[in-house]
Amino acid sequence: MKTKKRIIQFLAISIGFSLYACKKDALNTNNENVVSTDQYFKTAGELQAGTNAIYATVRGINLVAREWYFLHDLRSDDVAAGGSQLEVPRAQILNGNVDPTNSVMNAVWNGLYTVIHRANTVIENGPNVSDDPAMRDRCLAEAKFLRAWAYFELVSKWGAVPMYTETVKLPSDYQPRAEVGAVYQFIVQDLQEAANILPGKSGTENGRITHAAANALLGRVLMQQGDYTGAKEALLKIPTAGADGYRLTDRYLDNFEEETEFNSESIFEIVYVDKGDNDFNWSTDDTPNAAQSTIRNQEYNPVAWRNLIPSNKLLNEFENAETGAEKTDPRFSYSFYQTGDRYNNGADILTDADQNNNSSIVNGVRKKVSFRKFMIIYKESKSRASYHPGGNNQRIIRYAEVLINLAECEAELGNLTAAVSYLNQVRARASVAMPPYPTAQFPVATKEDVIKAIIHEKSVELSNESLRNIDILRWRPKGYFSVEPITYFRPGRDELLPIPQAELDNNPQISGNQNPGY
Amino acid sequence: MKKHIVQIVHYTVAVYALGIGLPVKTIASITGEAMTVSSTSSQFLSSAATVAQSVQKTITGKVSDENGQALAGVSVTLKGTNNSTSTDQNGSFSISASNDQAVLIFSYVGFLTQEVQIAGKTSLEVVLTSDSQALSEVVVVGYGTQRRSSITGAVSSVSAKTLTELPVASTDQALQGRVAGLTVTNNGSPGTSPIVAIRGISSISFASDPLYVVDGFPTAISNIDARDIESVDVLKDASSAAIYGSRATNGVVMITTKKGAARDRLQVNFDSYFGIQSPSKKFNLLNTAQYLQYERALNGADAPLPPRLEPENFNQPIYDGATQTFAQTNTDWQDAYFRNNQPLQQYNLSLNGGNEQSHFYTGAGYFDQQGIAEGLYYKRLNYRLNSEHVISKFFSFGENFYVSQSKQRFDVPAGNRTPIVNMIRMQPYLPVYNPHNLGGFMGPQNSFDASDPINPVEIANLVENINNTTRILGTAYIRLTLTPWLKFTSTYGVDHSNIAIQNYTPIHNDGGTSIVNIATIENQRQLYTTHLFTQQLSFDKSFNTHNLGATLVYESQGQRYRNETASGNQSTNLVKTLNGATNVTANSLYETNLIRSMLARVTYDYDGRYLFTASIRRDGLSVFAPGNKYENFPAVSAGWKVDRESFMENTPWISEFKVRGGYGITGINGVLLGNYPYLQPIQRNQATYPFNGTIVNGNGSFYNGLSNPDLAWEKTKQTNIGLDLGFLDNKITLVAEYFKRKTDNLILTVPTPTSFGFNGTGTLANVAAMQNQGFEFQLGYHKTSGDFTWNITGLMSIIRNKVLRLNSENASITAGGDADFGGGGPLTNTVVGQPVQSFYGYIVDGIFQNEAEIEAHARQNGAAPGDLKFRDLDGNGVINDGDRTFIGSFMPKFSYSLNFSANYKHFDLALFFQGVQGNDIFNAARIIREGMPRLFNADQSVLNAWTPQNTNTSIPRAVNGDPNQNVRPSTRWIEDGSYLRLKNIMLGYTAPEQWIKGLGWTSISQLRFYVSAQNLFTITDYTGLDPEIGSKNGTLTNGVDYGQYPSPRSFQLGIQASF
Repeated sequence: MKTKKRIIQFLAISIGFSLYACKKDALNTNNENVVSTDQYFKTAGELQAGTNAIYATVRGINLVAREWYFLHDLRSDDVAAGGSQLEVPRAQILNGNVDPTNSVMNAVWNGLYTVIHRANTVIENGPNVSDDPAMRDRCLAEAKFLRAWAYFELVSKWGAVPMYTETVKLPSDYQPRAEVGAVYQFIVQDLQEAANILPGKSGTENGRITHAAANALLGRVLMQQGDYTGAKEALLKIPTAGADGYRLTDRYLDNFEEETEFNSESIFEIVYVDKGDNDFNWSTDDTPNAAQSTIRNQEYNPVAWRNLIPSNKLLNEFENAETGAEKTDPRFSYSFYQTGDRYNNGADILTDADQNNNSSIVNGVRKKVSFRKFMIIYKESKSRASYHPGGNNQRIIRYAEVLINLAECEAELGNLTAAVSYLNQVRARASVAMPPYPTAQFPVATKEDVIKAIIHEKSVELSNESLRNIDILRWRPKGYFSVEPITYFRPGRDELLPIPQAELDNNPQISGNQNPGY
Repeated sequence: MKKHIVQIVHYTVAVYALGIGLPVKTIASITGEAMTVSSTSSQFLSSAATVAQSVQKTITGKVSDENGQALAGVSVTLKGTNNSTSTDQNGSFSISASNDQAVLIFSYVGFLTQEVQIAGKTSLEVVLTSDSQALSEVVVVGYGTQRRSSITGAVSSVSAKTLTELPVASTDQALQGRVAGLTVTNNGSPGTSPIVAIRGISSISFASDPLYVVDGFPTAISNIDARDIESVDVLKDASSAAIYGSRATNGVVMITTKKGAARDRLQVNFDSYFGIQSPSKKFNLLNTAQYLQYERALNGADAPLPPRLEPENFNQPIYDGATQTFAQTNTDWQDAYFRNNQPLQQYNLSLNGGNEQSHFYTGAGYFDQQGIAEGLYYKRLNYRLNSEHVISKFFSFGENFYVSQSKQRFDVPAGNRTPIVNMIRMQPYLPVYNPHNLGGFMGPQNSFDASDPINPVEIANLVENINNTTRILGTAYIRLTLTPWLKFTSTYGVDHSNIAIQNYTPIHNDGGTSIVNIATIENQRQLYTTHLFTQQLSFDKSFNTHNLGATLVYESQGQRYRNETASGNQSTNLVKTLNGATNVTANSLYETNLIRSMLARVTYDYDGRYLFTASIRRDGLSVFAPGNKYENFPAVSAGWKVDRESFMENTPWISEFKVRGGYGITGINGVLLGNYPYLQPIQRNQATYPFNGTIVNGNGSFYNGLSNPDLAWEKTKQTNIGLDLGFLDNKITLVAEYFKRKTDNLILTVPTPTSFGFNGTGTLANVAAMQNQGFEFQLGYHKTSGDFTWNITGLMSIIRNKVLRLNSENASITAGGDADFGGGGPLTNTVVGQPVQSFYGYIVDGIFQNEAEIEAHARQNGAAPGDLKFRDLDGNGVINDGDRTFIGSFMPKFSYSLNFSANYKHFDLALFFQGVQGNDIFNAARIIREGMPRLFNADQSVLNAWTPQNTNTSIPRAVNGDPNQNVRPSTRWIEDGSYLRLKNIMLGYTAPEQWIKGLGWTSISQLRFYVSAQNLFTITDYTGLDPEIGSKNGTLTNGVDYGQYPSPRSFQLGIQASF
């Protein structure tokens, strides 16, 4: 009997304890590490963090730190394979064999849409922020600029692309391919709105989008659509004097070196910083302490992988005294390293042996030539530079481009004198000092002449700056090329890249709707 | 009072024998007796008295084991009667018999049952022989044990002896080939967990690991010493596994550790082996002369030489002061990276013993395995103390305590460039070492050598990645024996792991591809603490021929997880900690989860003939959204012991005949999804952008993905039909199973379109459906009498997997793409109607011999004579992505193993063959060896590349840049992965007692020596290092060989001694 009582007591205690442990809300655990989407982007500070994250994507491996410049360069005629080191998906693009699973192309597509998603997040949440209207409006304008930049990258490479004007709320919020015109209209609207709000460079941190950047990009976009009047109008809004003014740097190389970032010519650049640990963020994920460097230095560096080298065509585009020009264009040696050049602050001399694989033929002479722009070998030894991801900012828009674009607008609008005058501003840069147009090789009597001069000038001034492929797309339909610049070009196909397979597979709104020829 | 206790003890022994198990027939014969007479102790006594009245003769005797050790608690039964007793602490017994022709049956857990004729004797000396099979007679089924004979589900058991045959670090590795339907694929260097799957892959987005339950504690199996384990029982089908409800879809592995036994004195066991391991296979890579020949072929005779190969450079000394030039160097990078004769050793010392009140097991172990490649090892120290105590008539108490500490040094390849990939790619003309370089190694200069592998020996030696894990696992329970048929058990357990991972990269400079100017230190600490709390009420009673059991359980298991990371840089190699470091960053995370469960199970059998089990478990889990937290997981099963029917009496050659069937619903462990999977958090301050050129860590916030409050338990329905057959007194046994397992609301990381902007992140949703079905067979022959006894057991398992539904009709989930391995196109694809993650690519139709063939073929960009011809599957006249198809699966047609063990006098022999048949391997590492996309060292077969003069070859032309993409994922890289391997061979010798005594080692009661060898041979057509291929980075790349660490060949010398 006694034992039975004890048993009952024990059971009662256990059951009581169990019930206590059964507290109803114990299963409602909170994640103490994060805030949820409905708790955030409520203040201007949070909105700015959202805006900064868009920049972070533009900076990352999918875009400007790696795949973005590869995709641009490989689709241009500026580059040739440095040798067998060029990885297969890159070689595919260079050789015109790109397919919908191409990893470089997929990376850029992913990166651009990540930019758009993050921009949409900011734009959508902005109206809820009231604590600092000025900062809020600037964030919205920056987000619109970056969204427009991403859509321009997309529409110019893939044509009609799915257009997301707000964030995805449900797994079924698939968007179909929007008309090319509608995408452009959206881009123009974003840029105009951004330009109206954004401050000049004196009113913001270095690296943030300015009023000038918005107008410069708007100019590019409108030109691509053939709206030269609108483009000219936008480009002329870029101030040339005062604290927010832009002018060419005297020293051409200032545009490609680390010490002279954010100079008077630079309108928009992507910021990189090297922590000194030789590290690169190979992940597409962000992490707060991820490396902030660019891998461009490893990819193109004459003493590193040297994956791409300048094409013979580009090398021979430069005016050269030996081939009848009045003066050899100094921009050749500013843009390229050749055997015999000094590097590492003048301490070392580049040899043939330093430069792996392929040679080039310049004016009939076989020699080893490599890209110089943005390479930090100018101040580093071979062993340091060969595997060193750089902290050198990638200039996206600089004033020289604005001038040449203005020249193109004026030429297309029939103002040839004005056009030539813009080109001559570029040629007159102190460290370049090329004789003004007309020259023996480049007369400027007719529109055709001026266009030729523009094409030439842009090639030599802005070579390997991720613009050439866009220019080709604009100039080709106008018949400005006597010889097709892209050797593998198949009309009706190679104007556009294929829509990535992952998108076709997982977006039912566009399944099967591939670009022609793929 | 004292007398009272004695009676209880007596009673406890009887029940102990019942519960833990005796061979089938014996149990059946005494079950009724014990159950009916022992409902109270007074009845028990009076019943015994009744038996005593009919005594005509008393037999006394002593029972001992093979070593002369007295055995207490051995059941002694007079055959054909209910008359039984058990031996006392000295192994003595006394039983009365009425017939001189009577036979006594001696049975004891862990020993072969023996029948002895009385035939005129009054005193017997009985020696029982231990039986590794005996354990399988009682099966741990989760919240209790059941006799094998009354099991209605698919449960397989592995004994301690089998489990310790292989010299491996972990228990999961030891299970390879031991259970039909359980596949174990070794996956990497020492200390790395293998991939374990029971009855195939059940999930697309998550690993298919089974649930491990160690002494009732659902937990991880890592760092548990297999030598402490008494038995492993694998619950394969839903009807048995559903007792673990939500976590049981992938099956449950029940691990029971040793508890010690009551004996008259303590027993000390020493068990140790020492062995050596070496790689079993090498590639045929190019030597320096061949490399020069290949370089010309790849780059073209007209192309400039890579600068290093120019004579003026190639004839330079390899470093200042060396007499050897590059031209004279011929490094075998396989010899440099792999190591021969690496030690492998294990020591285990244990002590067990006790009496009826208290018994215990305690053991300490040390395991040390050096890798067969540079810089890899795994070491473990562990200690266990298990004990059980009978405190009074009502209370008993027990505890299991385990502590282990392990240290693993591992490698962290950058992407898929494993050390083996670098080993293949390294130039043979480069030396491994350069004493002038900081760090002492030499690497290629990408520009100078036109190639950029990384010296694998350098990285393995300079870069330290070390995992120090300390684990404490303990449970304690109180058992109340309320009545003989009703028990209450309350268990508390705690599992604590402290995982400290240190990654250190020193400042070094190999003059080429590995130059680090600032040392990096990364420290990570993961703390897991899990509390288990189980209240269990068990009922077990017989009413005449009706046997009824019931179990009621309330359980809660909560986990707390803390993760702390810190990293920074040092400008000196003298300091390896973060003290005074620069760029220091730190992070910490804290997460919890809680699972709360109630379950009930009823077992019923009629006369041991008709068996029935039903269970239901209700689980509530914190990780799901409110409203979706609870789910029910029911199961039913039934069995029919045909051999117990009267119509079977005329067929004595059939000793066992049971049919079983079951159905149940299970889920996958929700914690796999993460602790908060349905919520999409803001990645607050998780991005950085350096405005003004100044890094402000975490100045950006964003989010990737969508919340899904509808995320709910995944439910898998499984049917199982089984057949157990035994012939000729179970000399021949057969177990056959058929199962079908289907999940309708499979949780999938739904691949959102990339245009959603989630950077490739998918969203978890219950959208897919998948099915696995298959057969398992286990056939055994046991010769148990005579000097020469032997056992042979064959296992075979056939599994077919099919994806039935994904998130949308055309959805595909691709995986495995990597620019280095085929150009970046995916290697696997998961679509509806195909097995999960089937290999995906083009079909190769030979080599274009001339331009005319190219013209005649569908348009294939970049093709030239000597390139591969890909089949135009969609017939559109162009070779493009649409021409890819499913070209193989990593899943075998069947897998099998064969265990043979034999004893002849003092010798014992074990052979263990294991194999898979009909699976494919995507030999991605062969792309590195033979693909020729860029200049690296390569396999000698590249010298047989197509040229206009060498057209009879399967190797396409060597051409710079691979314009035809000969490397693309295609049938070219798919190989038959079938293999048959002699996994283990072991020959043992047990020293005869006289021999030991003759040496004067009186304290030694048993002494066994053995030699064993693993992976002695492997029959396979696979051309990689090892056909046993795991998964590199997640479940969708199973069977892709990215250059995986191979299983070594090893030899051991072992000793087992008891004192």
